[in-house]
This record gives sequence, structure tokens and C-alpha cells, in this order.
Amino acid sequence: MEDHSDLPSRSMDVAATALPLDDEEEYVYEDALSECSEVQDAEQCLQKYYENRLKDLDNGDQDSYPHKFAVSISVSEFIAKYKSLFNGDHVEDDQVSVAGRIMSKRSSSSKLSFYDLNDSCLKVQVMADLRKSELDKDEFAKLHAFAKRGDIVGVTGSPGKTKRGELSIFPRSFTVLSPCLHMLPSPANNRKQEIWSPGHLRHPERYLLKDQETRFRQRYLDLMMNNHEIPQIFKTVDNINKYIRRFLSLLDFVEVSAPMLHAIPGGAAARPFVTHHNDLDMKLYMRISPELHLKKLVIGGMDRVFEIGKQFRNESIDMTHNPEFTTCEFYMAYADYNDLMKMTEDLLSGMVKELTGGYRVKYHAKGYDKDPIVIDFTPPYRRIDMIGELEKVANLSIPKDLASEEANKYLIDACGRFGVKCAAPMTTARLLDKLVGHFLEGTCVNPTFIMNHPEIMSPLAKSHRSIKGLTERFELFINQHELCNAYTELNDSVVQRQRFADQLKDRQSGDDEAMAMDESFCTALEYGLPPTGGWGIGIDRLAMLLTDSHNIKEVITFPLMKPQAQDAAPEAEDDKL
Amino acid sequence: MTKPNSLVYFLLPPIHRESSSSSTSQTQSTGEREMEALKVWSLTASPLRQLLRLSSSSTAIYGRRSHHSSLMLRCASAASSSSSSSNAATAETPKPSGRNRRAASSSNSTSDREAIRSIRLKKVEELRGQGVEPYAYKWEKSHSANQLQEIYKHLENGEELNDESDRVSIAGRVVARRAFGKLAFLTLRDDSGTIQLYCEKERLSDEQFEQLKAFIDIGDILGASGSMKRTEKGELSICVSSFSILTKSLLPLPDKYHGLTDIDKRYRQRYVDMIANPEVADVFRKRAKIVSEIRKTVESSGYLEVETPVLQGAAGGAEARPFVTYHNSLGRDLYLRIATELHLKRMLVFEVVVEPKLVQPTFVLDYPIEISPLAKPHRGNAGLTERFELFICGREMANAFSELTDPVDQRRRLEEQVRQHNAKRAAAAAETPEGKAKKDDDDDDDESYEVTLDEDFLTALEYGMPPASGMGLGIDRLVMLLTNSASIRDVIAFPVLKVQQNQKCFLFSIWADQWAHKVSNFTKDKRDLVELEGQSNGEILKSSLKKETLDSEDGERREKKKKVQWVDLMGKELAEILKKKR
Repeated sequence: MEDHSDLPSRSMDVAATALPLDDEEEYVYEDALSECSEVQDAEQCLQKYYENRLKDLDNGDQDSYPHKFAVSISVSEFIAKYKSLFNGDHVEDDQVSVAGRIMSKRSSSSKLSFYDLNDSCLKVQVMADLRKSELDKDEFAKLHAFAKRGDIVGVTGSPGKTKRGELSIFPRSFTVLSPCLHMLPSPANNRKQEIWSPGHLRHPERYLLKDQETRFRQRYLDLMMNNHEIPQIFKTVDNINKYIRRFLSLLDFVEVSAPMLHAIPGGAAARPFVTHHNDLDMKLYMRISPELHLKKLVIGGMDRVFEIGKQFRNESIDMTHNPEFTTCEFYMAYADYNDLMKMTEDLLSGMVKELTGGYRVKYHAKGYDKDPIVIDFTPPYRRIDMIGELEKVANLSIPKDLASEEANKYLIDACGRFGVKCAAPMTTARLLDKLVGHFLEGTCVNPTFIMNHPEIMSPLAKSHRSIKGLTERFELFINQHELCNAYTELNDSVVQRQRFADQLKDRQSGDDEAMAMDESFCTALEYGLPPTGGWGIGIDRLAMLLTDSHNIKEVITFPLMKPQAQDAAPEAEDDKL
Repeated sequence: MTKPNSLVYFLLPPIHRESSSSSTSQTQSTGEREMEALKVWSLTASPLRQLLRLSSSSTAIYGRRSHHSSLMLRCASAASSSSSSSNAATAETPKPSGRNRRAASSSNSTSDREAIRSIRLKKVEELRGQGVEPYAYKWEKSHSANQLQEIYKHLENGEELNDESDRVSIAGRVVARRAFGKLAFLTLRDDSGTIQLYCEKERLSDEQFEQLKAFIDIGDILGASGSMKRTEKGELSICVSSFSILTKSLLPLPDKYHGLTDIDKRYRQRYVDMIANPEVADVFRKRAKIVSEIRKTVESSGYLEVETPVLQGAAGGAEARPFVTYHNSLGRDLYLRIATELHLKRMLVFEVVVEPKLVQPTFVLDYPIEISPLAKPHRGNAGLTERFELFICGREMANAFSELTDPVDQRRRLEEQVRQHNAKRAAAAAETPEGKAKKDDDDDDDESYEVTLDEDFLTALEYGMPPASGMGLGIDRLVMLLTNSASIRDVIAFPVLKVQQNQKCFLFSIWADQWAHKVSNFTKDKRDLVELEGQSNGEILKSSLKKETLDSEDGERREKKKKVQWVDLMGKELAEILKKKR
């Protein structure tokens, strides 16, 4: 780079100083709103802007949507290559072609305009000067009157720095590659925004585009306007997936895909989406979990398999639930839940370390206007025994036979005493779930394993090797939310059939989230599933923790939104948890 | 049911069939060559295009264009539901078999299976009685079978290593066993390969050797540890000093030879296929490798992998009939996203003529605008677009184009699509009832679903999308090509099939108590139906698989037909019982 800083001759410097002005502050920001200031109504104004742009497109004699612009250097490469130029330097010998979106336009005369050209969150100034252009005066004036904030442009010219030190391109040619027909939703802002990285706090109050509805419905505007944060969020989601893939591949896991459409929804307790296959005239369910299929592959001899994929649950949308969400599940023959807890600690602590540089992550658990908490991913993680801890914390003595009427009565009574609400049907499994939610989950801010769930809550988990009535299962809770669910897999087909039958009882008592009997799975078990540990993680929730997001919609590119109601129904209810 | 042309669509001409090990290396190197050509990799589904819009050309974003579900389902529509009948039954007691014959002879007939199942369940009980848990919690293995074969390949015939460092432990499924008085040989298979267990009475405790003889069946999953030895006959073996039954299997493994011919079972019970034919799992391993290579390639070019929604508020595009579902709490219909390319291609008249000649990888360039609603107009030829499809072996592998970025042009094209769709819909609605019934037989042409203009997508385009290109690659077909697989069902672990086995079994278990009743009624209904319709049995079976649409059918006949159909769902197992009942 240094050879460039030596290169500029005096004459070039003169060329730069000869410009009437190169201090952007002395120019009027070309803000679209000013163009229709006499129009009162904002909506009319936007519509008029759109119509005018369409008219300009029609009147233009050049191709408004060129097929190709050969980019010779990206904005980030450009910055890296030329940032060490001295103020006023100008490398006439270099010709570069850069493309991006105009996020700001300033101009004083028909002979000189300044643009900020953005490529994701990086920007470079374009100083369009008639004297450097290959166009004549009229052509130049017409082109730069047409180019607007929001347009995608390609410029070819020479690099340099203005006297004020602004790294710039001085274009010989300037081409609109794709005009933006709409006015961008907020005024240009030249304040320097720090680029967000994982483990750091987000600052939505500083967004150019703040409105959540618009951000989620028109994600492209969110990515465009809040470009110092949002692209990094999705890069982080990708990095999370990459880390998991690498972690599991190193352990010889094979990535597979289980089907999305199931004849019986199995592997989890949730309401499924129902659809219909016309040609087969067959009712199909969108999967709620890949578990049963992945276990069948282990039965088939693939000892270590995993899948990162979408699951679908027909439940209401809120801060932590989207109808489709991404999970990773893996199944590992000859491993048990003790191995899986160690793997969970290795995977999460390793990932957090790699992505954020440390084990401690700051997180706005109570909202962006409150002080953030710190979540510490340093292993090992706290382990608490579900029933034992519940009895201790709530001072209970739950009957040992959890399947009994007695236990059910005891828990109904306990819920009543503590004011823990449980909607009908009050099955023992549901009552326990509510009590655990009430007494234990709140204590799980740093990663915590809640272990050894009762059999009645875990129809697919293997009975505990030493404690009757319990299973070898754990859930990992972080910031009071379940992140992982794993167990030593139940592989005794006789017991599995019995567990399904017990679930059927809960189903009949009205719990439509109880698991459906899957005979084909029981048959598969009869061929012999080796001792296997199975593990699942919610990728979206993990991404939320590592991106300081408290709404799941922040980490999903296009979250499912309620239909936009004309009568403006209170849409925000989800978001005010 | 079977549409010959769709079948042809998925069948690859039989190329060289080689032993699986040599074809592995060959297909992988082919794979790598293939990958190099893939520099651009993008999704054209509308949500992704919205993302592309704001990225400049140097930081494009990619996602997978999902051919998967539509390929899978198209394939399913062409699937035949025929299944071969049962294999010859053999007794549970394993016969001594040659080393190469890894899978045991066994039975598929229901009654024999049931008998074996109850014998083995009894063994489970007895083991527990002896304090042995036949469903273990954990096993620490030191090596895989393949690792041992590699590490000890220099061991001489008859040589044994008794050093402490040569003590190994392994786990896998018993795929063969031979027992002589004081000696037993087991062949154990794990996911890397096989190894022999050499079990001498004097090296094991009395109980263990007894267990070995009386309780272990082919199909059981075993953990074993011991020292390494090569037998006089040259077979690398583990001289077992202790073992543990890790999982007791209850059902017999299929005969390797017959298992292969039972096409239906291969897909419905993929795991059985995989146990009988370990090379089946290799296809899925290769599939994972192919996907991983694609990821690596695009990643190294700076692409970001993103996920786009499967559930959509509107049925985008008019090219394909979408799956519809319903969201309870939103109280609205949702549509599953569709892959558009295949359906568009159906409109290509000349495709049939041209494709079979394209054996070597060939780009077919510049398709007409009419069949390329998302592609940019050609810069030189009016009426064409800048689009190509890649054909290999007569099949479409990839579809790519310069993306249409002009929102005005895009709107015009989508509006025209909706207009055409609605015209067809109106025409279909105006048809006579008979004509309509006839049409219902062919769901592919059904236009009854509603299509709306994707305004969100058009608005996004109006904010400006950089000149961009997008490409979609059919992973299933690529895997078929690189694994020498004839059917798409061979490369999808669990393809959707006509009537799923688990559905049969589900019904079976729910109404198990009505079983005998149903069986006797079935024969009666079937007889009645023959009288009613004057059809042969074979025709009834065929007609029972057809969709019921005939409004003109009288209630009784329809009811009977339904029953026949219902019982038919019970499948082969029922047929077996029926045969015996008669």
C-alpha cells in the first residue's frame, strides 16, 4: 500500500484542491422528503415520489436494468487497499470498478455530487465531478439528477482521498444498475455506527429503521438501513450452524435429512400442522421432530447421525415461538446421557469462545431499556435433579409412584397451594411441568442441566439405571428457557409400546400434545437399536442468546407474521411480553 | 396410477455397476470435478430474492433451492405399490453358514415372525431373571472394525497378540454365527465394516459361554473385548475374553438375497434394507459428502447460508399446486413452498426430444420468456431469457438464470400467470360434472387452488435488486448420478410412499381387538363386491387403490369398497393370514 502513498504527484493534489468544495458538511443532503415538501400527506408524498421515479425511468434512454457490471474490487478490499493514502492523494493510474447501494447523496451544483456507496455495512465516498467524467455537461447533469438515494450503482474511476481525508472514488463512469423506486424509510444519517459482533449488546434505539413491523415484514429494508447490525446477526446464525457441523463432523457424525411430511407426527409432544397429499389422497403432518426417523437410521447401522433442519409446531406465536424453527438433533450409538452432558458443555463453551472471544455473554434479558445480564458459558454447568430439587425448593414430598392417582392428587393440591395454574387436563406430567416452571426454571440463568425427568414426562427416554420411575434425561436451561433436550434412548420395544399406551391415556383425557402411538417405530426397535444417546438443540434460541435478541423474530430471516389487518388490530401484543 | 413418463423421468440408464468399494472412489472424484463448476449458488424462491436485493454482487447470499420435496413427491406419484410376496420361512435356530453369507436366512411371514418374536421375548425375560439387562446403557469401544482390520493387517495367520496394549473392545450387530462344542464364531458388523469374534469356552466364564450359545441371535447388538488374533484360515479375529449383550433384537433379519428383491419393504423399512445391505448406508454417507462439498465450495467464495421460510401466507407462483395447511392460532391457511422449476419444465414441449441426447454435461441455453417468468430478458435476442439448464445423462441437474430485476416487467409477467391460471380455473369450473369427475383423476392438472399476485416480492424488487444471477441444483439427482442409483427413492432415506407402513400399523394397533371381525368381513365384502361389480379379484385390488371420486356410486357399494380399501391398508401381513384362513 505504501507505494501508492508515494505515487501521487503534485499535479494530482492540485486537481483535488482545485475543486470548489470537498467538505460534505457544506452541501445540502439530498433528502427525498424535501422534494415534495409542499405535499402535506406523507402517503401522498411517497406515492408521488414512486410515480415520478417510474416516469423518469420511462423517459430515460439508457437501459435501466443493465445485465452485468464487472466489479473489480469490493468496498472492503478497496478500503483495505487505499486507506493509507494521504489526504489529498489521488491514484490516477489505478482504475477500479466498485458497486453498491447509495445510502446518502449530497450535491451543490449540476457539476458535482457526493454519494456514500454502501456494500453491506462498509461505505466509500463517490465524488462525481464533471471534469473527471467521460460525459458531457448535459449528460452528466441528467444522470446525477436521476440517481437517487437507494439506487444500486456501479462506478469506475480512480481512488483517492479528499483534502479532508475522506477515502473516495473519482468516477470516470457512473451507472445506475437498479434504481430504487421508493423513498427509503428514514433520512440519511452520517453518524458512524459501530459494527456489531457476537457477544456484544445490540442497540435498537440507534437504528435508522426502528419500526419492528416494517423490520420483520420487509427484512430487506432492515438489512439495508440497519446494516451495522442485522447482516451480522444472520452471519452469526450461519456461524452457529457451521460450528455445530464442524464439531459433529470431527466426531464422525454423518449429516442426513429426515422427511418433512409424516404420516404420524412423532418424536415430540406438540400440535402438528396437517396437510393433504392430493395424488396419494393421504393426510400428512408436517414434522414436529426428526427423532424417530433418525433413530431408525441408527438401527440401520449408521452409528452417528445428525440433522440441522426445520420443525413445525402449530402453536401460537410469541417472543420465543415461531411456527417453523430450526433444530439440530444428533444420535450417537454407545453413548449415554452422561456423555451427552459433557458434549453439550464442550460444544456450547467452544462455540461461545470462538464466536465471542470469551465465555461470558452480555444479554438484555429484561428488555433493551434495562440493564443487561451476563451469561457465563464456562464449563462445567450446574446439574440439578428435577424431582429432588423440586421437593427441596418447594418443600414437597411427592409420592414415589408418579403414575398413581395419589401422586396426581398430591400435585393438584400442591399447585393449588402455591397458586401455580395448570389448565385442564391436569395430568401428572403437566402438573409437574408447571411446578418445575414455577420453582426451578427461574433459577437457571447460567447454563443449567435439569436432570432425571420422570418416565411419565419422557415417553422416549430410557428408564434411569438406578432410580425407579425416572429416566436418564436432561434439559439444558439458559436464561430460564429450555435450549437442549437429550436422553439415553429407550430401546426396549416392549417398554416403548407401554409408554405409548400410557400417552394414549393422557391423550384420551384431553391432552392433545401427548405423543401418538407409532407402531412402525416400535417395529423398528424390535430389530434392535444399540444403546444410544440422542440430543436436540433449538438453534433459534441459541442464536437469540448470542445475538442479544429477545424476540425469536430477530434471528429468523422471514418470520411468520399475522396478516396485516386493515382495521389495525393490536399487532404488538406478542412483542410486549 | 403409474405415469410412464414420470417414471422415465427419474430412471437413469443403467451405467456400469461395480463393486461398491471401487465405485466409491470413482464417484467421489467425479463429484469433485463437478463441484468445481459450481461457482454461483443461489435461491430464487421469493424470500431469498428479497435478501439478495440489498447485497451487492460481491456479498451475495445463498440458500438451497429445494427440489427435495417436489422431487420426492413426484417420485412417490410414480411409485408402484406392488410388493413381492413373502420369502421362504426358515427356522429360528441359525444354521452354520459360510463366512461370506453374512445375513442369516430368516423369515418374513407373519406367523413365523411372531413365533420368533415370542421366543426372543422369553430370552429377554430369562436374561433379566439371571440379572443380565439385555438393553444396556452404554459401551466403551476402543476401535471400529475397520480400524482393527487396518491396524492388524500385518498379523500372520495363526498369530495372536497378548500384550495389554493389544486388548481391544468393539461393538456391533451380530450378522453371522457358527457354534461348535467349545468354540463359537460370530461376525460382528459396525458402521465401518465387519470383524470376527473368536469365542473359546476356556477364555470365557461358564455363564458367558452358555449365554453365547443359548441367548444370542443373529441381529443382536453385542459389545465384546479381548485380544487380537488371526486364525489359521487367515480371518482377523478378536479372541473374546468378555462380552455383553447390548441390545436384544426381537425380529429376524431378512435374507440378504430376498431382502433385496422386496422393493416395497426396502423403502418402507429402510433400516432393514440397511442392515441387510450395508452399501445402502454408503449412499447416504456419500450424499452427506456431496452436500458438504457444495457447502465448502460456496463458503470459500464468501457466500452466507441462510434459511428461508417453508410456510408462506400466499401461494406464490402459478406453476404448481401447493400443499395447504392451517395455522390454528392465526386462524389462516398457510402454503408450503414449492420448487417451481420442474413444473415449469413440464411446459417445455421440445424437452422430450432434446434431453435423451444430452448424456455428457451440457448447458441448454436461453429459454423463451414464456416459460421463464423470473429470468431476465436476453441482452441480444428478443423473446428469450438469459437462462440455462444443465443436463447430464438426459436429466436436468441445474437451472440458472440472470435474475429479472425490473419490477415493472416482473409485475407484467406475474399478472399474466395469474390471469392464465384463473382462466383455466374458470374453464374447469364450467365443465360438465362428468368431465369434472374425469379430470379429478388426474391431479396434476387440477387448477382449483387460488393464486394471488406476490405483491411483497414486487415491492421488494422496487427497492432495487443488484444485477444478480441465481442457480438451483437438484441434490437428489446429483446424488443419484454420483452413486449410480436408479431411483430417486434410493437416495432419500425415507421417501413418501403410497400408503405408509406406519399408517397401516397404526390402524392395526388401534383396532387390534376388532381384528378377527374385520378379517371375516373382508372376505365377505370382497365376495359381495365381486358380485356387485363383476370384477375379478385383481381388478378389485387395483380399484381399491384408486381415489374415490365417483359421486354416482351408490352408498352400499361405496361403503363396501371403502372397507376393502381399509383392509387393503393392512397390507401383506393380512394377506398372509387370509391365505391361511381360507
